[in-house]
Order: sequence, then C-alpha cells, then structure tokens
Amino acid sequence: MRTVVQAVILGLSAGAVYALMASGLTLAFGVMRVVNVAQGALVILGAYGSYALFSHLHADPFLSILVVTPLLFVVGVAVQMVFLRRLRSDERELSLLVTFAVAIGIEGVLTLTFKTNYRSINPSYANRTLHLLGYQVPLVRVLAFVLSAGVLALLWLALERTRFGRALRATVQNPTSARLLGVEVERVAAVGFGLGAATGAAAGAVYGIVWPFNPGSHYDLISRLLSIVVLGGLGSLGGAVVAALLMGVAEAVVAATLSPVWSSFAFFAVLIGVLLVRPQGLFGTVTRGEL
Amino acid sequence: MGKPHGHGRPYGRPQGRFRFAAALAVAALLLAACSSGKSSSPSGGNQAQNSKPIRIGASISRSGDFSDPAQLVLRGYKLWADQVNAKGGLLGRKVEIVTVDDASSPNQAVTNYQNLITRDKVDLTFGPFSSLLTLPSAQVAKRYGYAFLEPEGGGPKVFAAKLPNLFFVQPAPAVAQGQVFADYVLSLPAAQRPKTAAYPSLDDPFASPVAEAVRTRFEQAGIRTVYNHIYPAETTDLTPIVQKVAAAKPDVVVAGTQSEDAYSQVKAMVQLGFSPKMLFMSNGANAPTEFPDKVGKANVNGVFSSSTWSPDAKTNGNAEFIAAYQKAYGGSPNGIDGNTADAYAVGQVLQQAVAKIGAIDNQKIIATLHSGTWSTIQGDLQWDADGAPNGKDVLLQWVDGTLVPVFPADRASKQPVAVKPPWGG
Repeated sequence: MRTVVQAVILGLSAGAVYALMASGLTLAFGVMRVVNVAQGALVILGAYGSYALFSHLHADPFLSILVVTPLLFVVGVAVQMVFLRRLRSDERELSLLVTFAVAIGIEGVLTLTFKTNYRSINPSYANRTLHLLGYQVPLVRVLAFVLSAGVLALLWLALERTRFGRALRATVQNPTSARLLGVEVERVAAVGFGLGAATGAAAGAVYGIVWPFNPGSHYDLISRLLSIVVLGGLGSLGGAVVAALLMGVAEAVVAATLSPVWSSFAFFAVLIGVLLVRPQGLFGTVTRGEL
Repeated sequence: MGKPHGHGRPYGRPQGRFRFAAALAVAALLLAACSSGKSSSPSGGNQAQNSKPIRIGASISRSGDFSDPAQLVLRGYKLWADQVNAKGGLLGRKVEIVTVDDASSPNQAVTNYQNLITRDKVDLTFGPFSSLLTLPSAQVAKRYGYAFLEPEGGGPKVFAAKLPNLFFVQPAPAVAQGQVFADYVLSLPAAQRPKTAAYPSLDDPFASPVAEAVRTRFEQAGIRTVYNHIYPAETTDLTPIVQKVAAAKPDVVVAGTQSEDAYSQVKAMVQLGFSPKMLFMSNGANAPTEFPDKVGKANVNGVFSSSTWSPDAKTNGNAEFIAAYQKAYGGSPNGIDGNTADAYAVGQVLQQAVAKIGAIDNQKIIATLHSGTWSTIQGDLQWDADGAPNGKDVLLQWVDGTLVPVFPADRASKQPVAVKPPWGG
C-alpha cells in the first residue's frame, strides 16, 4: 500500500508536467484542427532556452520561464503565420507534414547549437526532497506540479473568462459562424497556436529540471503527447489534463509494483480500452461530422 | 571514459527505421562488387611509393547521432598521426588520415569505405564510431582484404560476424565490462561481501547484458538477487523504478546503464534518500566531467564504474598521449574522453604491427595481430579469432570527487572505498 501511494504521488507529479505539454497540443487542434507534431520539439526548445539561461546567466529555471514563454509564444505565432496560414482549408492534412518539418528544423538547429549530448538543468535544489506524512516527494516535482497547475488554471481562466477566450471557443465550435459574428478567426488562430507553443515552453523548462534531454528527445515526447490528447479527447483541455495524470499514475504504479517493462503498456491498454468504448476519447465530442 | 559513448548507439533511436534501407543498400553494393569482379589487392606496389604518404581511410560522423563522439575518435587518430609524423613517420613515410562524413548512417559508412578503398586507394583503414557502423564497414574491408582496426565497435553482433580482419582495440568486449567489478567484489573476504543485489538495467545491447554477466557470477557466489528488471529505452521517469529497488533494500546495486538513464537513477536515489552500500553503473558514471555535472558534485563519491583507459594508468605511451592531447586541446587529463584514448590506441597497435612486419601489407598485419600481445595506453591487448579482446577493463571509483582506477591492484592508483558514503544531496 505504501509503495502504491508513493508511486501515485510520483505519477501525479510527472503527469502534471505532461498535462501542461499536452494542453498546448490540444489547444492547437481545437482552434485549427491542426495536429501540431512540432509540440514535442517546442517543449525541448523551451527546455534548451531555460538551460541556456541557467548555464550562462545562472537564472533560476522556474524564473527563466518568464523569458522563455513569451519567446516561444512569438515562435508559435510565427510558425502559424508563415507556414500554416497558407494552407487551404481542404488541405489540412498537409499541416501534419508542415509541423513535422518544423519539428525536424528545430531539432537540427538545436543539434548544431548544443550538440547531441544529454543536458539537464541542475539548480542547487535539484535533489532536495520534502517529507510529507512519511512519503518522499522530490522538491522539483512539487514545484513542477504547482507550476503546471497554475499555468493550466491561467489558461482555463483565459479561455473561460476573457473576450479572447470566448472568441477562441467560438472559433473552435464553428469557425464560419464565428467569422460571421465578427471574430477575426485568423488572428485568433495565430494567438491560439502561440499560446500552445508558450505552454509547451513553460513545460519544457520544468521537463529540463526533472529529466535529462537532448535534441532528439522530442520523438518520444510527441508520441506520448499524442496518446494523451487522443485519450482525453482531441481539443478538450480538461480531457488532456485527466489523461496526462492517468498516464503518469498508471506508469508509475506499474513500474513500482510489477515491472518497468509493463509500465508503458499499462497506459496503452487503458487507451485502447477507452477508445473501444468511446472513440472520441474521454471528454471529446462528436462535432461537425468530423468523426 | 572509454565507454560512455563507447559501444554503440547511446543516443536516440531513430536509426531503426533506416535499417531496411541500409540492408537494401548493402545488398546493392554486394551485387556491384560481385559484377566488378577482380578487386585489386592493396598490398602490392609499395616499393614504388616510398616517398608518398601512407593514407589511412576512416569514416567519421560529422552530423547525426554519433557526431559528438565521432569527433572525439578523430582527435585520437590525428594525435597519433601527428606524433608518428613528428618522429619521421611509419617506415620513413608520413601518415595521412583521410576522413569522410557518414552522417551517422551505416548505409553511408559502407559507401564511404567502398570509395576509400576502391577509388581513393587508401593504404589502410581505421574504424568509425559505434558498432552499428563498424559491422557493415568491416565487412566491406574484409571483401578487399583490408585489416580493420576499430576503437568503438564492441557489440556482440560485431564478433558474431566472425570477421578475421577485425580487431576491436579495447581491453574487453562491451558486455564484459562489469567483470572487473565482479572480480573486485568476489575478492573481498566473505564477511565484507554484499548479501543481496539489485539489477535495474536499460533495455540496450550494451547495458543489460553487462548487469546480466555480473548477476550470473554473483548468484554463483551466493549473493541473493532481490530485484532484476529491465526498463525500456523510452522510459524517462526512473523514480518509480528506483523506488522499487529501494524497497527491496539491496546491499549492492549493479545498474546496466548507458548515459542519461544513469544520471536519472542517481538523481532518483538521492531524492528518495536511498544510498546502497555499493553502486556500480556500467556507463554514465565513467564520464569524468558529465557525471558530476549531471548528478551534482556532492553525489558522485563511492560510485563504481569501469573503463578502457584511465589518465592515471602507467601504461605504454600514456604520459606522452596526455601531454600531446593537452598541447593540442588543453584541459586537464581527467577531461580527456575515453573515445579519444581508444582511437589513439588503434594507431599504437598499427604502428607496432607495421614495425614488426617492416611493410604496409594488410594480409600480414591481419596475420600478425592474431598472435602476440600489443602494448597500448589501455594496457596489453590480445585478440581471439573473431577480433574480440580477451582482457579486462579497469575498475574506476569516484574518490574525493575524482574518478580514479582502484582495481586490479597493478592498474590502481588508489585503494577502493568498500562502503559508499551517503549522498551529499
């Protein structure tokens, strides 16, 4: 029992970071029906941004988020405006190729700049541990959890309580009607994509503290993120969060009780089970005859 | 040192999908080679070329997954060539290292050696970085009768190919690198030996077999296994795994690791407050600058690893090698990567073989290297018929913040610390 509780704590903290990364992916899909396979690369780009600030300027990785996140927002908006806006609505499948090209491009630039060695961001408190009711919780994971929850809450507030959020949700529901009602769909899409990249960057900084990374890390990352978003329901923010936490906990509990070999399998077993019953994912809706 | 990047594919996984393409390319090349019929023997005509430099061809990755370690290999080749040339060359001829980029692709490496041998007509060949590239490249060299001295292709598949022209210039095959730790533990008096052991290992041909080999010997000696699991390569979060290891309370942890997973294991142990009495990590912990950088300087002491080479070893030419390295690249001896040392040793072996034969003749080099002992900066080397070395690595331990050789006694500079001090946090 003790083992399980400890594993659940570790799993929730890992899941929260994945929730943050996946929220950006599901946002981009919701707004533009674009599966942004560059999300993993954007996360790694954020991690390297944080790493560079930490190793050259000794900036605290959690504080460096304040610099890296706006930068990645700009990158996201630029990617949308330069590459994705050109695609006609009937060639959306091409967006998969375009974003994959962006991912490869980012990987190439990172490889040239930082080489392929693994990096990790090691602030002085990297190995500190909190003792809660006799359980050990690494401090960086608590901070990662708090940060992820905070950013997700902000994102949710922005979507639910602001004019922009309403415009964005309107665009998600029906771009044509939104346009008729005066929403500047193109601008909303660019900002939405930028927000997705920015959440990815915030997650990247945390990722770099908790796990080592190199430019090629985005391949593993994007496959996990896609599974999370599919399980949660494409375009559903709440779904991405629940699915990410589910993945974190399932993997940790299986690794700590059975064997690490089965830990990824456990998540995919859940994924397949859910999709058999609900093809649209946990919180996905069947909209616009898309599914 | 030698092995963190030493044997194979420590970085990334994307090569797999190129394998089929590589197989096709190899097949195409085989056909081309067969149809061209007569391949000229590289051994003839040396007398007429005495004034020309001896050209040694090598495929070196300048991009892709292996670009970093491959550059370190190239440093070793060049340092050796420069030293030989400064002393008048090999048999009075200058040595020139001819390199071509393979972009870390086995397919391209095969093409490169084919071109180096048939078009550029190099006199000799040296190996590329990683077993993945070494095996198909050595097969090309074999077809043209070239000796293939290689520093970084030590995987089981390389030796399973039974290539008579291949010589892996390291003291021991990759999977045997834990043997020296088993030797050390079993050399302790029974009362001091660990009673229980855990083996958390990466699913990688260069990682888990190392722990397996140690486990076999430990179990025969009565050390009980309390944890033995392999984690998949895509596992990023090792904390739950270490949590289970900690719950089993082993005296010794023998971790078959590559690089980033070793760092993650140590970090997880520190965070979970689990400090085993002994910790051996096959790779990662033997990187003299990376390891303290990744896990924190306070968390290295007492950790064991092994390597092909140590800057402290009193081996043939070691002082000269270190001096030349520092002159060319600066830094401290501890900052010298083992890949560079391995490549330098390749040159040393060739030099001794050529001196013995008195000619640049690939067939004679192959025949000569299969017998006798060859003295390098890694110690004395000898090979079996398949090119596998039959020596042992040196056991390293982090003592007072530096990585030093501690076993066997004749290669050690310090006494091993039997019980690992607690983590510094």
